Amino acid sequence: MKKLPAVASFASFLVVLSAVPLGARAADLKIGAPAPDFTLPAVSDGKAVALKDLLAKNKAVAVVFVATKCPVSNAYNTRMAALGKEYAAKGIPLVGINSNKTEPAAEVKQHAEKHGFTFPVLKDEGNKVADAYGASHTPEVFVLDAKGNLIYHGRIDENQDDPKNVKSPDLRNALDAVLAGKPVPTARTKAFGCSIKRV
Amino acid sequence: MRFALRLLSAAAVLAVLAVLARPAAGELVKLVKPEQYRSRVVAAKKGRVVLVNFWATWCEPCREEMPALVAAAKGFPVKDVAVALVSTDSLKKTPDVQKFLASQKIPFVCWQAKSTDPQRFIEAVDKTWNGAVPYTLVYDRKGELAARLLGPQTEQSFAEAVRKALVAGP
Repeated sequence: MKKLPAVASFASFLVVLSAVPLGARAADLKIGAPAPDFTLPAVSDGKAVALKDLLAKNKAVAVVFVATKCPVSNAYNTRMAALGKEYAAKGIPLVGINSNKTEPAAEVKQHAEKHGFTFPVLKDEGNKVADAYGASHTPEVFVLDAKGNLIYHGRIDENQDDPKNVKSPDLRNALDAVLAGKPVPTARTKAFGCSIKRV
Repeated sequence: MRFALRLLSAAAVLAVLAVLARPAAGELVKLVKPEQYRSRVVAAKKGRVVLVNFWATWCEPCREEMPALVAAAKGFPVKDVAVALVSTDSLKKTPDVQKFLASQKIPFVCWQAKSTDPQRFIEAVDKTWNGAVPYTLVYDRKGELAARLLGPQTEQSFAEAVRKALVAGP
């Protein structure tokens, strides 16, 4: 996996939501619209990760809102870890964002380590990024093309219970379409899971 | 002494009857396919206002609002208002759903989506719903959707929505 940019310390960190065109706000982020930029601290080391830096170096970026305590999000831990490794090697990194006020950075770090997440997990204090994206669930995915435009929004797949019997691997389909230079076959699905615990 | 024994026996019989009168754990949750939602959960109670509360065992606000729903329902005659729960837990979690309902003595019918694809169920229920729970729908006596209640509710807000649906109906 590519080393992620670190441009500021956690202590000096400020959420940035306006460097790239600030797309539509909240729930009206549409497919094809420019997604809000953000810079958030990685829970692993507190260093800031900027979306614009990731977009500059990759074919696309998959932003996944995650949780430590949500059983639905946790049902996808193994799948997220595998997708993160597989697609980072192909030029599409996953980025996890934890916006739950009930889950502090230390807990998120421990959770990410326990479940073998090699992708960065960022802490969104004050759920500003979740608000900007209109994210409501965990897990909930936003795939952005290299220009930062939204090309997929929704679930990872339809079957939280049984990874071996997934019939609609929507996130994988979207990422494969990017790699093949084709339009995402189903750009919008309904995410399901736990509500993001906002301030 | 003999009187005390009779009292104890009567109490024991009453306790057994009380247990028998309760639905077995397996009956606390009924499965419903997405395409059956309207006919089984809503239309089956046509003639009454129907309040359907979507919840999940892992959803803390859902669990917290349940007593408010129970209290609100007590304010309406059963002949006028029916309450149904729909658990959005995965099918693997049915025992947890049953355990919660039994432990909290929830007096409502509880359905659970019989589908591995939540999106199919969400769209069968309400295309405008993003799937977040708690979520409550109130139908009037004709089975027409009268109100959508997003997020946690209070006894008053549940009751108010039901009252409006009752007034709107025939």
